[in-house]
Parts: sequence; structure tokens; C-alpha cells
Amino acid sequence: MVYVAGIDIGSAFSKAVVMAGNKIIAYQVKPSGGNYRLTAEQVMEEALTKAKLSLEDIGYTIATGYGAVNVSFSQGAVSDISCLARGVYYLFPTARAAIDIGGQFTRVFKLDNRGRATAFLLSEKCAAGSGRFLQVIAKVLQIDLKDIGKLSLKSRNRVDFNTGCAVFAESEAVSRIAEGAAKEDILAGLHRALAAKVQTMVERLGIEPDCALVGGGGKDIGLVRSIEESLACSLLVPEEPQIVAALGAASMAGEQAAAIKTSP
Amino acid sequence: MKSQYFAGIDIGSTMTKIAIMNQALLASVVGPTGPEHRKLANEVMEEALAKANLPFEAITYVVATGYGRINVPFADKQITEISCHARGVGYLLPEVRTVIDIGGQDCKGIKLNDNGQAVDFVMNDKCAAGTGRFLEVTAEELGVNLEDMGRLSLEAKNKVEISSTCTVFAAQEVVAKLSAGAPLPDIIAGLHEAIATRIYGMVRRLKIEREVALTGGGAKNIGLVKALEAKLGFPALVPPEPLLTGAIGAALMGRDIVKQAGESGTTLPRSERRLQEVSLFTQ
Repeated sequence: MVYVAGIDIGSAFSKAVVMAGNKIIAYQVKPSGGNYRLTAEQVMEEALTKAKLSLEDIGYTIATGYGAVNVSFSQGAVSDISCLARGVYYLFPTARAAIDIGGQFTRVFKLDNRGRATAFLLSEKCAAGSGRFLQVIAKVLQIDLKDIGKLSLKSRNRVDFNTGCAVFAESEAVSRIAEGAAKEDILAGLHRALAAKVQTMVERLGIEPDCALVGGGGKDIGLVRSIEESLACSLLVPEEPQIVAALGAASMAGEQAAAIKTSP
Repeated sequence: MKSQYFAGIDIGSTMTKIAIMNQALLASVVGPTGPEHRKLANEVMEEALAKANLPFEAITYVVATGYGRINVPFADKQITEISCHARGVGYLLPEVRTVIDIGGQDCKGIKLNDNGQAVDFVMNDKCAAGTGRFLEVTAEELGVNLEDMGRLSLEAKNKVEISSTCTVFAAQEVVAKLSAGAPLPDIIAGLHEAIATRIYGMVRRLKIEREVALTGGGAKNIGLVKALEAKLGFPALVPPEPLLTGAIGAALMGRDIVKQAGESGTTLPRSERRLQEVSLFTQ
């Protein structure tokens, strides 16, 4: 059996996926922290422990993500957009577009029927369209980031935000709390504001269904519903949306390992 | 003729400013607006009246301007901040043709004609980058008082380049630079450079003409003033109290209205007004 791995060092989280052939056998997700080199080793070690393997058992490793250069034990690095496309293709072969909402950036891309990215847009200049926006707000509202999705769905009276800027939204949220607005209504309004940013990107790129939603943002059910509402279509969301790029990297590593094996 | 008094109140996103004038400036107050304090604009007015030693009834006309001008129950008229800033700058610095106003939550460029009237403007109130908020957020991240940023940046030896436009990302970037060992003054100078680039990029669309005045809280920051002057390529003019131009302009607009009414013999369009709390939103 050939074991391969994909590792994705993101701005907020690091992920490792271990595969046996074309099957996922273990994965691990942990905060990236301040030392990417160390985190890369740790996240890989933890995934390997879950798989009951050691680094020597891995035939090929591909690194990706913002901090890919910090992965010393990989045999190659591939751009995050290619890995994301491959990961989406692995999970949802019918998907022709995907939205990736990460900690720092949001990407929207199209992919062909072989899982290759054909066009993409990246929001890197502004925090308002990214997971960072929700982090900022979760801190203000003093709630756990993982709880905001469910809470937002309880909203009966959504607060409309006038701003598309994360900094101004923070102060607007503070003012609305002072006026007595419910947390869920504020969250629903912020999800709406974030969804509007994503919608603008989606419209600019001009996508066709099926569309997947991946990245940490996919774990926020309030955000998922809000984007679905904005785009007027349902989205394919994986069970573990955060590991998609690492999964794509592992899948590519599998191909590399197979190619090495068959070459004379 | 009995002497007439005029009040201008400029309720900004961050600061509330009041000017009381007759022929000259009699009294002024600059106080924080804050999320709660906007309601207390009447108290700021009382403070200004006490300084001028006048009762509220002695004020002939009150003009409100700024972001929070809409719901001021003790104003006779609301006038946009663009017109009031233009009037105020035209009065204080008649040679000015371009105003760059850097507020707490927005930034404006205003083009003036030879009569000191606003003929064109550009404005950013959508994004915190290029406004006072950018410096407020990054100063907090650096653990530096906002008031000290200007002075500190003048000690810079090697300005650090800040590549983020977004305030949120810039705040992260400065922390990374600081932990990488960059000296504080060099980082702050980099922040001033970043905000000056953003502001200049916007105001340049107006075709900047000399003289240029800098107003708003941003004009109190010597580092930002120097950074903007470097972009302009010539020195800018800064009024003695750069926060007050809008309020002074508002008071002068009130004076103009009263004068016109007197000349044309029409009755003054004055509303039923009370010195009471400002409501935050239209009910």
C-alpha cells in the first residue's frame, strides 16, 4: 500500500491529510500559531499518529497554503488554488465552481470536469469578505466562533449593516448592542454583509452550478445559509470543509507516487 | 442693533465640536462623541454657552452639521459638512483652494472656488483605511497613544513598508513587524506613509490646487501632515484648531442666513427648538 500526505499551512489553521491510495485514512486540523515550521511538523505528526504511521511510511507529501515554504519534509509544493480545485473534485465531481472562505482570504474559482481550476478571484485587500471579519465580530459579541452559525439562524429581526468594512462593522455592532439589539440579529446581519461581498465576487467571475463551499467559513451554518440565500442556489458543503486543500494536495501526491512507481 | 450670536455644532463620528460666534469666535468646545455620548450633544452645547457666558436663548441661529446632524433638536437648520468645512476654511484661510479633511471615520477632499464655496468633493466613508480609524486601530495594536503617533514617527530612521491596505490586516502586519524587531518609530512612519498614500490617491482625483489646507483630527498628527506634504510636494496649511473648521463654518452659515433674511426683509426660517438630548436615530 502506498501512503501519501497533503499538508496545508493556512494563515489561521494548518491541516494535514493522510491517504492510502485514493482513500482518506486520517486528518488533523490545528491553529497555525506563530511558528509555521513547528506547526507543520506537529500537525503532520498528529495526523500520522491517528493513521498509526510514521513519516517514513509516507511515499510522497505535497505542501500548499500561505505558509507552504515552511514545510521541510514535503517533496513538492503546489498552489492553493490547484489543491483546492483538486480537493473539491475529489469530494464533489459534479462541482464546476467553489467558494473558499478562509481565515484571511476568500477565493471563488471555476473548475473543469477533471478538477483543474480554470479561473479564480481572490479577495486579499480587505478583511470584510473573509473569516477574519467573523473573528473580529465574535470577539466583540464575546461568543465562540463555532457557535455563531447556529445562533445566527435563530434571528427573527435581522439588523442591517450600513458598512462593508470589518472595522466599521465592529463599531456598528457595538452601537447596536448598546441599543439593545439581540446578538443573533446582529450576527444574521453580519452574515448577510459577508454574503453580499461573496456574491459580488461570484457575479464577477460568473459561475455555473454545482457550486461547493469550502474553507473554515463552511463550518458556519449561518454563513452557508446566508450565501445560499444571496446566490439563490444550494451549495455543496463537505463534512470537513477546512481540509479540502490538504486533501487536494494529498490526492496530487498520490498521483506523483503512482507515477514514480510505474516509471522504470 | 442688539448683538447677535451664532452657534455651529459639528457632530462627527468621533468628536463633537461647537463654535459660538458673533463677529469673531467667542467660545469653542471639542468633546468626544462616543457611541453613548452623541446623546449628550446638549451638554457640550451647555459647556460652550457657559464659556461664552450666554444663555441658549441669546443664540440667534444654530446650524448643525456632520455625520450626526440630523436629529439635533436644538438646531434651526442642518447643513452638510462639505458646505460647512468650505465656509470655515474659506473664513480662516482665504487663500485655500483644496481642503483635505481627515476625520475619525471618513476622509474628504473638497475643492473651493475663489469665493470659498465648495465646487467639488470626494469622500471615503466606506472603508476604514485612509481615515483616522486606521491610525486609532494600529496605535492600539502597538500600545501607543494616538496623540503620540505623530511625534514618535518623526524619530524614524528607516521607514517600514506596510503592504496591507485593510486596517485589520495592517494591524496584524504591524504586530509582525514589531516582533521581527523593527523600531516603533519606523513602523509608525510606515503607517503614516500608508494612510497618506491612500488619502492622496483619493484627493488627487480633484486636481489639487494650492493652497491646500489639512483639517480634522488627522491634521493634528505632525507625522501624517509631513507624509501628506511629501506627497503634495509643497507645505500645507493647518488651521490653529483643525477640528473646529466645520463648527466655525456652520456658525458662519447661520450668520449668512440671518443676514440674508434681514436684507430681504423675510422672516427667519427658525424651528421650534429646545436644548435637549439628541436622539440617535429617527424614531
